[in-house]
Amino acid sequence: MLTKIKRPASSAIRRFTNSNYTINNNGGKVTRGVQTALATRYQSNTRWRSSTVLDDWVAKPARPISLRQLIFFGGRGLDDKRIINSANYVRTELPTRLAHRIRDMQKLPYVVVTNKHLSYVYDLYYSAFDSFRSVPHIKTTEDNDRFCTKIKAALKEHLTVIPRLAMGVLECRNLLPADELDKFMHALLRSRISRRVIAEQHLALTDTFNSPFHFNDGRNYQPGDFVGEVFLKCKAQEVIRRVGAYAQELARKAHGPDCPVPEIIIEGHLDTTFPYILSHLEYITGELLRNSIEATIEHHGSKRELPPIHVLICHAPKHVIFRVSDQGGGIPADETKDLWSFAKSKRSDDKRLRNFAKVPKMAGTLQELQEGPPELRDHEGSLSSLHTLTYRPPDLKLGMGLPLTRVYAEYWGGSLEQTSMEGYGTDMFLHIEKLGNRLEQLNVDRL
Amino acid sequence: MRIVYCRHLATATSRGLRPTILQQRRITTLTPRTTEAVGFENATPKNDELSLEDWSQEHEDEISKLASKPLKDLNLTDLIRFGRPPLSPQSLLTSARSTRENLPVRLSRRIVALRNLPFIIVSNPHVSQIFNNYLHSLRSILSFPSSSLTNPLEELKFTEILTDIVKTHSNTIPTLARGFIECRRYATPAEVTSFLDQHLRERIGTRLMAEQHIALHISSTANPEEIKGADGATVELVQDGSTYIGTIDTALQPARLINSCASFVGEICEIRYGVRPQLVIDGDPDVRFPYLPVHLEYILTELLKNAFRASVEAEQTEPIRVTIAKDPYTAGISMRIRDRGGGISPEDMPNIWSYSFTTFREGEEEDALGRFNNSVASAGDGSSIAGLGYGLPLSRAYAEYFGGSLSVQSAFGWGTDVYLKLKGVEVD
Repeated sequence: MLTKIKRPASSAIRRFTNSNYTINNNGGKVTRGVQTALATRYQSNTRWRSSTVLDDWVAKPARPISLRQLIFFGGRGLDDKRIINSANYVRTELPTRLAHRIRDMQKLPYVVVTNKHLSYVYDLYYSAFDSFRSVPHIKTTEDNDRFCTKIKAALKEHLTVIPRLAMGVLECRNLLPADELDKFMHALLRSRISRRVIAEQHLALTDTFNSPFHFNDGRNYQPGDFVGEVFLKCKAQEVIRRVGAYAQELARKAHGPDCPVPEIIIEGHLDTTFPYILSHLEYITGELLRNSIEATIEHHGSKRELPPIHVLICHAPKHVIFRVSDQGGGIPADETKDLWSFAKSKRSDDKRLRNFAKVPKMAGTLQELQEGPPELRDHEGSLSSLHTLTYRPPDLKLGMGLPLTRVYAEYWGGSLEQTSMEGYGTDMFLHIEKLGNRLEQLNVDRL
Repeated sequence: MRIVYCRHLATATSRGLRPTILQQRRITTLTPRTTEAVGFENATPKNDELSLEDWSQEHEDEISKLASKPLKDLNLTDLIRFGRPPLSPQSLLTSARSTRENLPVRLSRRIVALRNLPFIIVSNPHVSQIFNNYLHSLRSILSFPSSSLTNPLEELKFTEILTDIVKTHSNTIPTLARGFIECRRYATPAEVTSFLDQHLRERIGTRLMAEQHIALHISSTANPEEIKGADGATVELVQDGSTYIGTIDTALQPARLINSCASFVGEICEIRYGVRPQLVIDGDPDVRFPYLPVHLEYILTELLKNAFRASVEAEQTEPIRVTIAKDPYTAGISMRIRDRGGGISPEDMPNIWSYSFTTFREGEEEDALGRFNNSVASAGDGSSIAGLGYGLPLSRAYAEYFGGSLSVQSAFGWGTDVYLKLKGVEVD
């Protein structure tokens, strides 16, 4: 690990620079006072690294994997050789993908990356990169066990990345055009999902390899149902029921027991079963149902009976489609265009920033994370940041639920679209590709 | 055999009267097929000596000049700017003069667009017929001097010219469609789609401009009993109260229109398939907003045709659900038509907005024309383009004309949702 050289607090730098130079729209008049300040920063700068190492890894292409490959890789009997193959895939993929994102960040304007939240993420990513790139070739299962410990530690440490990124983007919204910020967030989040998918998948496979019958929560899972993180038999109706019930309960807690909560009616091909990463599905459908419930309650105020939310499950040869229809009053046309943006939001940005700090277990210390409640643990009993997002209280409006949901929906080649009837309600259409023949959409922008 | 629909006359109203929807008369006339303008026996060209071809060549430059003038976009506010009928003679003359000034610009633009198409395409007899129709209409309106629009008698003559123009062009779409099918070897689908899109969208405005003046004229001057089509057919009219301003009904109730379109489409279904799907309206059925019944009726008929056919073919017993909502921020409405007809496959989705002739393969031409002939014979309404796949793109053109929108979402394996949003206009 590189030793950190103490440098002036970024807030101090900001104060200093703000009062000493102006940035015009063309990007930068600098006064003499600041030239001195910059020189001071440069001397104590830890961010300038020897470029060749990062350059080597940036030059390697990421090797995307599809859901199908994930399933088949782990499904046909795990042995030493396969586990070690998997470990070495992860060993090289993680630093490769991290390197690409670090390079992305390095190319953003200086003023953006020195934002305290974004620079926190930058440093986190860089040290993870350094850590993983120096792992030697894995030859034995003992090597793998050590490697897995390292992965687990990194996953825990990086749980706070999403709110940090979001806060950073919010604070920087005047420094960069909104669509550039959106593109950056999109790429970063997509890549993050990808790293966590392959990392968590490998951890799960290792667990299965080490102790095939280890499931420690009350749900009835058969051993063959999971291939790592991929649940082969996501029962659409059951997921919706579970996630919907939880969302309704949260709404009751938030609005008080007297407040009516809309019913969730499920129709369509009720037997639909398909393989997917369960936590992703729970997050996406949870988000949609929360939005519908909130909108319905807000729109109909004090009425005794609220119009129900209709969820359609539709099973096509290559897709599974979820349609969530509510009567929550719809989304006004002028808000629709910014619906999917991270950088823009209709909610007051200060309130959003305050809310981020309150999201349970997201900005917290390691201590808090270890003490999380049972419902925040997935089937393997471990905590994931996705679960804390999925089960956060409804009055915590982060303003980025929909854009983040879309990143997850599109991750395996699916899509999420909305249509509103102003004054009536909203329909959300979630398309999921079955068996995910599509490779992860890592580089959609660059194709 | 050429079939002429007097739809335009059906929408023109006298004081407070409106035609019952879909009660038009079909008139069949046997007309000789020539490459000259067809069916203009009643219209007398002012320059008797010059053939249409010679006239157009003589006026080539003038047409170019007219076409390059700015296109005045029609919006609903413009259409109702003279207030509720009956209009004063002054207002009527102002409307006439405005139409006389703007219509030639629109007609010229279409002529220029057509004459710039490849020679081989415009030589096709159907396309050529349409081209000549436009030339003829332009000639007849240009030969009416704008300066003479100073008294009611001249205004009446002008309105008669407009009526004739509207009638001439009532069959443009199927004729053009037929021509383009025959010409599909000579242009790429993209070229033809782009031409048709532009042409049909501008045509909406051109027709509207003429029909609006005709309607205002009739509601400001004529007696109901005297309304006859130029070809002698009469139109039944029904007392309704004066919510109309020309072609706009300021208190249009979509639910009523949906029911009548549904009953019409249901009848066709019953004849063709032996079953009639049910339809349920929810949301806000009492809502009213100012709009053009003709346009909405066309759109609804097309959309319901799609929904009904899909439901029947999927042997679906669940009714089609139409939800109507009043937009709280504007004078507009949104509508959702939800069917359970099995949805649209992902392979077909990208093509739903193209004019379907683009998907014809070799050997299908006869089938397509056969379908065309059958549908023309059996369809009782003005959209004799049934079966040619123009319904969705054209409906969208109508919806978007006054700032609305039409979109489609499908759950393949279950059904389709169609969303129609229309803006109204603030009317006093």
